[in-house]
Amino acid sequence: MSWLTSTVWKIPRAGTLLLFVGACWVAPSAAQELRVPESAMAGQAAVISTNGSGHATFYLIGPGTSIKREINLGEDVHVAPESLEDSGQYLAIVCSESCGSATFYVQPSHPASLSFLVHPSRVPDNQPDAVSGVAFPFDHFGNLVLDPLAVTFQAAGPKEKLFAREVSTRDGVAWFRTASGKSVGPLHITASIGPVSSPRVIAQVASEPCNLRIKGQRTAKGILVETEPVHDCAGNPVADGTIVTFNASGDGEKSTVDAPIKGDVARALITDSGPVTISAASGVAMTNELRVGGK
Amino acid sequence: MKWTLSIALVAATIVLIAAGLFQTRSGGGTVGIAAGRALPGFAMRPDTPEHALTILLGAVQRRDWKQALTVMRTNDAATSEDEQAMAQDWQGSNGSLRTFSSLESFDLWPQHATTDEAQIRARLNWTTPVGPVEDLRDFNLTRSGEIWTVTLPRTEPPNVPAQIVPVTYLRWDLVSGNGQDKWGTHNLDAPRVRIISMNAVNSAQGVVVMGEVENEDTVPAFVNVNATLLNASAAVIDQENSFDKIAHVLLPKAVSPYRIDFPGLDLAKVKNVRMDIKAALVPASADPVIGVMDQKIEQDLQGNPVLHGALLNQSGQTVNIPHVIASFSDSNGRVIWVSDGYVDNALLPQSSAPFAIQIPRNVATNVRSFHVVVNQYSLENS
Amino acid sequence: MIRGEAYSRPIPLMAVVLVALAVHGPLLFMQLPSSSFDANFHIFFASHYVHHWFNPWNEKWFAGFSQTTYPPLTHQWIALLSNVVGLNMGYMLVQLIAVLLLPVGVYRFSRIWVDETASSYAALGSVFLGSLAFLVYQAGQLATVASAALYLNALPYFYEWMNDASFVAMAKGVAISWAAAAAHHVTLIFGIVFFAGPVLWIACQDAVHERIAASLAGAISRAAVFAVVVAAGVGVILLPFWLTLIQHPVHQIPIPHDSRANFLLHSITGINYFVIPYGAMILALPFILLRGAGTPRLRPLLFGFWLAFLFGLGGTTPLPRWLLGRAYDILTFERFTFWATLLALPFVGLLVTNLLRRFTSKAALALSLATVMTIGAALWWLKANPYRPTATVDVDPVVAFLNRDGHDTYRYLTLGFASDLAKVATYTNATSVDGDYNSARLLPEMTHYGSAQLTNAKFYGTAGMSALRSMLAHADRYGLKFVFVHDSYYEPLLTFVGWRKIEVFDHGEVTAWSKEDVPPAHQIPSDAIPPAWQGLMWGTLPLGASLLAIFLEIFLPGTRRAPLQFQMRPPQNEKQYVA
Repeated sequence: MSWLTSTVWKIPRAGTLLLFVGACWVAPSAAQELRVPESAMAGQAAVISTNGSGHATFYLIGPGTSIKREINLGEDVHVAPESLEDSGQYLAIVCSESCGSATFYVQPSHPASLSFLVHPSRVPDNQPDAVSGVAFPFDHFGNLVLDPLAVTFQAAGPKEKLFAREVSTRDGVAWFRTASGKSVGPLHITASIGPVSSPRVIAQVASEPCNLRIKGQRTAKGILVETEPVHDCAGNPVADGTIVTFNASGDGEKSTVDAPIKGDVARALITDSGPVTISAASGVAMTNELRVGGK
Repeated sequence: MKWTLSIALVAATIVLIAAGLFQTRSGGGTVGIAAGRALPGFAMRPDTPEHALTILLGAVQRRDWKQALTVMRTNDAATSEDEQAMAQDWQGSNGSLRTFSSLESFDLWPQHATTDEAQIRARLNWTTPVGPVEDLRDFNLTRSGEIWTVTLPRTEPPNVPAQIVPVTYLRWDLVSGNGQDKWGTHNLDAPRVRIISMNAVNSAQGVVVMGEVENEDTVPAFVNVNATLLNASAAVIDQENSFDKIAHVLLPKAVSPYRIDFPGLDLAKVKNVRMDIKAALVPASADPVIGVMDQKIEQDLQGNPVLHGALLNQSGQTVNIPHVIASFSDSNGRVIWVSDGYVDNALLPQSSAPFAIQIPRNVATNVRSFHVVVNQYSLENS
Repeated sequence: MIRGEAYSRPIPLMAVVLVALAVHGPLLFMQLPSSSFDANFHIFFASHYVHHWFNPWNEKWFAGFSQTTYPPLTHQWIALLSNVVGLNMGYMLVQLIAVLLLPVGVYRFSRIWVDETASSYAALGSVFLGSLAFLVYQAGQLATVASAALYLNALPYFYEWMNDASFVAMAKGVAISWAAAAAHHVTLIFGIVFFAGPVLWIACQDAVHERIAASLAGAISRAAVFAVVVAAGVGVILLPFWLTLIQHPVHQIPIPHDSRANFLLHSITGINYFVIPYGAMILALPFILLRGAGTPRLRPLLFGFWLAFLFGLGGTTPLPRWLLGRAYDILTFERFTFWATLLALPFVGLLVTNLLRRFTSKAALALSLATVMTIGAALWWLKANPYRPTATVDVDPVVAFLNRDGHDTYRYLTLGFASDLAKVATYTNATSVDGDYNSARLLPEMTHYGSAQLTNAKFYGTAGMSALRSMLAHADRYGLKFVFVHDSYYEPLLTFVGWRKIEVFDHGEVTAWSKEDVPPAHQIPSDAIPPAWQGLMWGTLPLGASLLAIFLEIFLPGTRRAPLQFQMRPPQNEKQYVA
């Protein structure tokens, strides 16, 4: 990319407008006539016709490009595809003794990629409207495709297919919202337009523990207490590492152990020798009380 | 003139040096580096109980175990085993907090004395990586001839029998994605953590904001709680964070007390407290598991309310420095104080160590329940 | 020629300078001082002048500090030379110049008190001083050595001006004094008492006893003129320094230093700050005392020496504390021992002359052994000293880490790096909240505790660790995101306050720790930023003073005669003092 082009690339939209207004101001009514294409597509060549004779200077100013070229009036001006990669309004100006200008619009090309955002990255199972996604179609040159397009959203959990839905883009955006599945594991979500697709994976995790229960027995070292396999209300095992807090109280003292779940079960050793009452909790879930007699 | 002036200068020098010896204030010196013993003739003699104990503790400061033994033995020459045991007594072992500590200063209070026996209470001020630690210790001294010697009860190191402890490490590591993979770019949500209680009180040191925080997510979270005090015109008075008064890494569903200190501020000038909890995904391990046994609020020898208990390492991994954080709640379940304390001894696998956390007297009377969590530093994990 | 006569001839000054070059040149070109306590500090300051000659505000330490807190001459010369030979060798060259100037200064200063032969031996002795080796190779006190060397060179001109009213001497003396002040302010302030005081006293004494042409009133009035001109010049040359000092007087909590310990109660400290610096000169102390007391003309020098000697004992006597007040807790006292040894050298020159006259080659052998052992012991002590700097940190990976991936948008801290803290700062673009110059610190986390560098926090006990905790607690405030640890002592603290180990360098010798959610560093507002005109002054006047001194020394050749035209005669009973 030349220095000039790379510099002008950075001209903001307001700057382009200013140039456009300036060009219109310099163009008298009897100026050069230009015939611009009625419909142009990003990344495709375009031809701009001029009339008259003699030499002139041709300018083309667009959203991400600017061109200055010496031309012969009466001949067609060929604009290369790489000069029309950005969709939007373009201004063509020809100046000899006087200036003339015309504008034309470059449409985005066909969708070539999908920008697909899914939220959240972890979702508890069995939650209504817990997963949302939004897709933006872009053409090969990174232009947002604004024409309505049908985007197909598909979501599949580890054990079930959640949904498949076709949503039309509106102003270049399509979105969905859905409930999370019943089983834990990766939730594969794909957005696609024809052959173009964009997959995403989010983690479906267990919800709060449900029906937490403990059992225990006195051993030589103390009371070995453990939970039954910890599941959420959908029957999925709660994530390993989740803390279960064991509380043992008796004889004016209390003992606590924060034990992580390993292999669906949390275990703790309580060393109290007297009679104790043991319970456990994890988040909002509480267990039964376990009474163990003294040694 | 020659001799007069020479003698005068020498005499003045000697007088000034003598004055320097009597100067009580220590001019310099750094902790933890042996600065060498006093030159012969300038060393203190153990001719009183205080001198004997001062020599012992001075030697401990310099880690000069040979000299320490000179005020502990009178008959036999000290053996290297004695020296080693002495060093282990004072220096700690197994990478415990005491192994990182240096005796910075001490104060002595004679408790009881006869012509042949004396008891002295010493407040030992240790400097440690986690802050100053104060230790009260009673010493018994006996006189043999002109010399006083210190009798120290030998602390036996924990005797852990050889055993096989199943180790099933649960560990979370962070795998960072890039823009091309299907996990997307930087689209992992921060863990969901929540402040489940908060209270602001005035204390002797200033304003204290405290409460409890819970990791409600299914992944480990690094948590930091910040508090900003605002005055009546909504201007910021001060901003501090929970620093080491919190367990920063919380496993799923774990709850930690937190405390944020604003030294020198008065709550009456505070109109509003803005809380800000920051959470980030971090790698973590589910081990070790440390139980807190026999928790009870009692009074110590000086009549101060203290939460006592014992830590039990239920895993197969040595915990070098345990850190106990406790929140105390009133009858309404509101957190009214958060205290913490570091334990001197390392927790070997399946072994236990006592701990004690002080509670302000005015708080202790209102305490109806408490919640203790154990944070830890392990050399293996560091 | 009779053998004894050979020993009574003065050694040519050029020969002494060549000996100094032969002894210290190789050691300096081997960069032996690079592991000294302060060498990296001086190089760091110089590196700032390399990039910002006229802007003394340095963001790299203490979240911003002014280099006008330290006289710049030696640093600016290193910066200039570094363009040719690099920073490290630039430091060595400036140090070498100071070391070569020292025997010249000692010779000229000694000529005020003793004859040419004794002066030449004094100059030769200065090459082998234990205190010099201590300052150069262990302490790295470049500015102290340079300033003392310059000051010793200025004092004979001061004496000559008082005696002869020679304007050439006045000009040279003033210019060199300005240069000395531009190198190190403390040397100038205390030099007035220890060095200039005895010279003024002897000039007055000489005038009273009509040993010189000047009258007492003339000598005193000329001394006053000299003092006023020097003071005015120093006031202007170091104006930014004085303004900074007035704006931010050193109010921080005293920081412990081992030179303030009682040497009798701390034997290793005594070896470090007394035995090693004095070396074999300890054997000469009785001679110094008796000869100084017995010779009226040497008494001013004896008093200067005695006072410096007592100050050099640090906390062994209460005298420094009584006389210095609060300044006692700011100063370190090894420099006083250095000055005491310099003041003792004229006596030592006399002693050497006498010994050589009496015992000729035997004395020469013994004295040679004594001098070699003195400097040898000081060099041996570099390795044997338990306080020695442990310059084993490979800072390159740390510097590389900080200079990549935008890490320099945050501040950093080193722990356990000792003086290598300054080496990291020299070569990284990132800024730190720590630093190695106590008097420049303004952050409350640093000044409210009796602790010096955070990187050495553990050595300052509770005060040091409290300062470190305070800084870590305010990590967000300063954009402090990275901590580099070279001492596992600090790892428990970092773990408990929520830092995580993120990288390991140099096979685990250094670990990098980071904290989540720290915002990027932003400039900390400070009222200590010097205005542009001060930067301009700072960049021109100190160096200008040294260039003026060089110019005058070269283009205004003086009489180069001995300040005194009479010979000192030893007392008749001197043999009993010979060690």
